[in-house]
Amino acid sequence: MATYSLLVTANPYSSQGQLSAIQFAKTLLEQGHELMRVFFYADGVLVASRLHAPPADEINLTKAWAKLAIEKDIELIACVTAANKRGIVNVAEAERNALTGNNLDPAFEISGLGQLTEAMLNSDRLITFG
Amino acid sequence: MKSLYIINQPQKLNQALPFISEQDGILLIEDAVVVATYGSVQANHQTLYVLVEDLIARGLKDKVGVEQWNLVDYPQFVELTLQYDKSVSWL
Amino acid sequence: MMNKSICIVFNKAPYGSQAGRELLDIALMAAAFDMPITALFVEQGVYQLLKGQEPDILDIKNHSATFKALPLYGIEDILVEEDALQKFNLNVQELVEIDGLKTISSSHAQSLLANSDFILTL
Repeated sequence: MATYSLLVTANPYSSQGQLSAIQFAKTLLEQGHELMRVFFYADGVLVASRLHAPPADEINLTKAWAKLAIEKDIELIACVTAANKRGIVNVAEAERNALTGNNLDPAFEISGLGQLTEAMLNSDRLITFG
Repeated sequence: MKSLYIINQPQKLNQALPFISEQDGILLIEDAVVVATYGSVQANHQTLYVLVEDLIARGLKDKVGVEQWNLVDYPQFVELTLQYDKSVSWL
Repeated sequence: MMNKSICIVFNKAPYGSQAGRELLDIALMAAAFDMPITALFVEQGVYQLLKGQEPDILDIKNHSATFKALPLYGIEDILVEEDALQKFNLNVQELVEIDGLKTISSSHAQSLLANSDFILTL
């Protein structure tokens, strides 16, 4: 049994990267491995918004990650700098930046790049989906 | 160390090849799987893999050059990431 | 205690994407964790190091200055792949002066990548 972390940089609805990531995540869990953390960076942070409304007959990636995170106790972390730039903000960052709203999905956490470095140091494998 | 290079765009394979060592593996996923269906790749002894779910999605499963390419599914993809010491996504 | 090493690969020109900037941020954070880091410039990534960038003409922040500061953060291995310089008609004198900047062959780049514990591209 191995411990994995994933680095996801793909724009959720513009390319296949996040679909591949979530499929990989589900498969490794089915095989009995552990998924410690999924770190969202660059365009990957966009999935952390709770305001997505994809067509009903298509996958909702935010909900799919959230479901996996809750069922399997996985940390979903979006990088604060990448998120702020791209308009993904929690209550605290919205206040700090005097923004009129916030949109972070509750299954995700906003944190720093240190969480990625830590995931590298504490996982057996880090796989990037971009 | 043996590395698994994960390539997800067709044009990235040739860009990555100069940096991939003989003992490494190369896995094509997403749009890059089309590369496994035409011509032959100037690989240098690397083991070549292609993700079958991405082939099936694109209607390409029967067009793979099976002399060069090993078809793997997602469970085998996970196994490969453990078999190789590290995975490198060449974006 | 063995510390895991990381090789950050810059393979894109600056400003057309955030890749250079966002990889730099990872490099600086990893340095803060005392991970041995190599910055490797290949393909169009060598343009990240070209002297005389003036992105402010486009209201874009000039991050090439941060490359100069890498040694201050403990990142001393700044490696530029020779084939890339040749392919794009550049010579090393045209790159920003950074302590520890070296040009390397593609086979050296290959073994560096083989021996690093992590490789990141964007």
